[in-house]
Amino acid sequence: MSAASLPAGEPRAIPTAFAIAEALRIAMASDPDVILMGEDVAGGGLRPEGTEEIGGIMSVTRGLVGQFPDRVLDTPISEMGILGAAVGAAVTGLRPVIELMFIDFLGTCLDPLLNQASKFRYMFGGKARVPLTVRTVTGAGLQAAAQHSQSLYWMTAGIPGLKTVIPSNAADAKGLLLAAIRCDDPVVFCEPKGILFVASDVPEGDYEVPIGRAKVVRRGSDVSLVGMGATVGMALAAAADLERDGVSAEVLDLRSLAPLDEDAILETLGRTGRLVVVDEATPRCSIASDVAALCVDRGFDLLNAPVRRVTAAMCPVPFTRVLEEAYMPSPARIVEAARALL
Amino acid sequence: MATPIAMPKLGMTMQEGTVVEWPRAVGAAVEKGDIVVVIETEKTQVDVEATASGVLRHLYVAAGETAPCGTLLGALTATGTEPFDADAFRREHERAGAGAAPPAGAAAPGDAGTPRRAGAQRAGSGRDPARTDPGRDQGSDPDPARMDAAPVTPAARALARGLGITLADIAGTGPGGRVTKEDVAAFAARRERLVAVRDGVMLEVLREGDGDPVVFLPGFGVGAASFAPQLHAVACAGTFRALALHPRGIGASDAPAAEAYAIAEGAGDAAALLATLGARAHVVGASLGAAIALELALRVPDRVRSLTLVTPFLHAGPRLRSVAAGWCAVARHGGVETLSRTLLPWLFSERALADDAGRERMRRGLAAALSVAPPDTLDRWAAGMAAWPGPPSAELRGLQVPTLVIAAGADLLTPHGDALARAIPRATVRVLADVGHAAASEASDAVNEALLAHLARH
Amino acid sequence: MTRPPTTEVLQVAYRTMRTIRSFEEALVALVTQGRLGGFLHTYVGQEAIAAAVCAHLGEHDHVASTHRGHGHCIAKGVDVRGMMAELFGRRTGTCGGRGGSMHIADLGKGMLGANGIVGAGIPLATGAALTAKLKRTGGVAVAFFGDGASNQGAFHESLNMAANWSLPAVYVCENNGWGEFTPTAFVVPVKDIAERARAYAMHALIADGMDFFDVYAQAGEAIARARGGAGPSLLECKTYRFLGHYVGDPLVYRAKHEADDWIRHRDPLRLFEARVTREGLLTESNLRAIDVDVAALVADAVARAQDAPFPDAGELLHGVFATSDAEGAR
Repeated sequence: MSAASLPAGEPRAIPTAFAIAEALRIAMASDPDVILMGEDVAGGGLRPEGTEEIGGIMSVTRGLVGQFPDRVLDTPISEMGILGAAVGAAVTGLRPVIELMFIDFLGTCLDPLLNQASKFRYMFGGKARVPLTVRTVTGAGLQAAAQHSQSLYWMTAGIPGLKTVIPSNAADAKGLLLAAIRCDDPVVFCEPKGILFVASDVPEGDYEVPIGRAKVVRRGSDVSLVGMGATVGMALAAAADLERDGVSAEVLDLRSLAPLDEDAILETLGRTGRLVVVDEATPRCSIASDVAALCVDRGFDLLNAPVRRVTAAMCPVPFTRVLEEAYMPSPARIVEAARALL
Repeated sequence: MATPIAMPKLGMTMQEGTVVEWPRAVGAAVEKGDIVVVIETEKTQVDVEATASGVLRHLYVAAGETAPCGTLLGALTATGTEPFDADAFRREHERAGAGAAPPAGAAAPGDAGTPRRAGAQRAGSGRDPARTDPGRDQGSDPDPARMDAAPVTPAARALARGLGITLADIAGTGPGGRVTKEDVAAFAARRERLVAVRDGVMLEVLREGDGDPVVFLPGFGVGAASFAPQLHAVACAGTFRALALHPRGIGASDAPAAEAYAIAEGAGDAAALLATLGARAHVVGASLGAAIALELALRVPDRVRSLTLVTPFLHAGPRLRSVAAGWCAVARHGGVETLSRTLLPWLFSERALADDAGRERMRRGLAAALSVAPPDTLDRWAAGMAAWPGPPSAELRGLQVPTLVIAAGADLLTPHGDALARAIPRATVRVLADVGHAAASEASDAVNEALLAHLARH
Repeated sequence: MTRPPTTEVLQVAYRTMRTIRSFEEALVALVTQGRLGGFLHTYVGQEAIAAAVCAHLGEHDHVASTHRGHGHCIAKGVDVRGMMAELFGRRTGTCGGRGGSMHIADLGKGMLGANGIVGAGIPLATGAALTAKLKRTGGVAVAFFGDGASNQGAFHESLNMAANWSLPAVYVCENNGWGEFTPTAFVVPVKDIAERARAYAMHALIADGMDFFDVYAQAGEAIARARGGAGPSLLECKTYRFLGHYVGDPLVYRAKHEADDWIRHRDPLRLFEARVTREGLLTESNLRAIDVDVAALVADAVARAQDAPFPDAGELLHGVFATSDAEGAR
């Protein structure tokens, strides 16, 4: 690992999408083996003058092809081909970063992650390195409906040999992505819609946020609110509400879903005895259920109340605004769940 | 489903509180979080919020009355029309262990803030056999009382296991009456006050402040509340740790069955407490507590740094014995309020009784101090007091411990303070004119001043 | 045009083919004796393809293989003793006993692994070719796969991308006539799998997969094109799976005379032997000496594998991640 583990430069407020682009630029500049592949990631960067490249569906990669013309590769709409080739490239010496437009598209290309990238190291007797990063947009809230709004990180987090991270803010997004790209294991890097265009302070320069470490983003004593990605902001809003009622809520940002920072979860549970876990995904077989199970399994004697899960509803993501809001977790639902434990 | 409103316990030393106001009338709708009752403790008013929404259904303790912590003050029901049996709910509250069930026969509301301990030495076991379900197989159910009780959180269970606490003894304050870790911690904090003396007997010790130990021994039939102003003043002086010992049968202390609790036995118990302190202690006793303190100082003089005897006696005179006998009888048949009214003129001076408001305040304080002494305990200490021969005068003359005697000029029960001072040549005597037997309460400022000066000198 | 194989190439090729045959025959015997378990798919009948293709490859070239991968491993130089130990699940196996037959890989030899997923090796080789191109290693990546895999989306996506990017890749389809228990013609509408290359404007070749010399010539052309920057090729090798889909396959779905005809008349080793002796390229004694060597090697591999230690159960979580073994549990 070449980068310092602590932020170096002065922070500025920039959107998460810009922070991700900054990480990509730093990673590509500092390592010639890093390549970027995906649909429209260059987006016609080699078009005639007077036109501009799109830089991916969220324009995150705009401008990179100009700086790294040989290493930003537009692909056909062939997720299986892209992912499979990326795994092959990773085991033979490149460090590919793939943009999988939405995590919903895992359905078209699961095998390279499920049976190839995740398994190579173990299956080949601990000898393979698969330095692959799959960036993918997750979550609801933009009325993108059932096939472009899911939070399927529970699927990748459930596959041994894959790492899955999900930032809740721009600074973590930059540091986690740099750590993911430099990691010798395959990492799924989730980009929640709810935070992509939210600006927050991001340090300048090259730094990494370690994978596998959760972070307490608010100290409290009465109840722990455990979030990931966009639900961390919801938990912080709920904590502010609860504070007005004299309830002191601690907020833990998981940041890494696999590996899961079990100790951090048990530590916050130990401090408060009460835990609400907030997950943008559907409840069955979810990270929320996993955290709840962990609390009961390893933290039973710490529990001073039942564990509550605040999750999306167990249905496809609806299109219309009123239903989409009803589908998603919210600060109000977190407050309600926390109050019921006190 | 009714929700109890109980006297809260705000801090380690709070034993009781006074209901100042019920802001809402019975029958009024109450939202969770609304202020349902205002209580006063140590001159501070505290708003108590409703823990559930519903209708204020019944008041058990009226405004102006004082009750121990944990006492059921009122009840909320979800609606105004659902069936509600106020007496049954109170019994349920007491049984569920909001505090100790009063020993059999006691008419007092019970020291609801003190823990019930497993073991046979308490007069009452707290479990009413009549309440167990006759249809349940007792042989296969190790704890029938727990079966219909509120749930317990795993954290509470783990803490209780670690501390060796029986969960059946704890009332839950969580949602649905769930026993939480906080409930167990509070219970444990109360239990922390118990000190083993001799033969497995556990006595309750209330502590306040940090520094050199000052041990207070209360008088006949009263608890540490009788020394409340002194405990506070000594603790606040900054260099002392005030410890008030509840003698056998008082408060949460064990009440071993006996014909009498002898003064010497009390001194032995106090000596056992002193032995746990690791440093010489200042000892303060009032009335019967002064007799115990004196015996203590003669028995283990090198553990007693100084002695303060408030309205002491060398033997129980006819009037003292006769008042004690009446005290026992009224306690057994009349309850704490009647007892406090009966005793008021014996314990306070004419001057103190002249002021109506002051009299009522003193009566309430007295009632609080009296409420921790059940009738059996009173009988036993009355017997021990009557049988006390007093220390031999030769031993008194040889007592080297620096001694302060605070006598009261209007003391009807033990008017022998000056005689005792003569019997102890090294004693300093302070006589408070126009003050009754309960000098520590009636003339708390003067007693505090004399006491602190004495402690400062030694 | 590919130059004819030298004597040395022929010796190596025969040794490779004989080693594959002996290795697979040993496995069949071991399974029959109940000494070996797991899913085993033998390469018997297809030896000429792996031997001929890999004769053109060096250690910096990569191959991706299939569930029927022992032949590709041996041809790419993976240690036979390690392979046998792997099949026995021993610590000394190529993958420490963690992979087994379908996951033998030796990245140091450019062997990207056998693969339990039909068609999964095709995009992997495509990625290896991408690496070779971007890093200008001069390497070539070869994907071996069967006729069945040519019906997978991964095949079509990969060929499209490789052709579009002009990657140094060769897609070697071993059309052995059977996709598991179904004849290829039953599920493939085109006469030759090679026809599918046209959809991607890709160079296509067809070889007789039982004829080492033909495969050698065609593969030589495809690999030379790839190495020379002329882009990928699809090379279809017509071959036949002598044994069942897996060791123990009752073969009830296949007419006995069909296999008998292939085995009697088209055995790649016998065809090879006939030609090299007829043309005086290798002598009978050359070949028999190799047979003796190979028999000893395989016997030794079995003996060593059986005596080798198993891994400790305590190592269960080792090697899940490159970064930390301890993370395996989470």
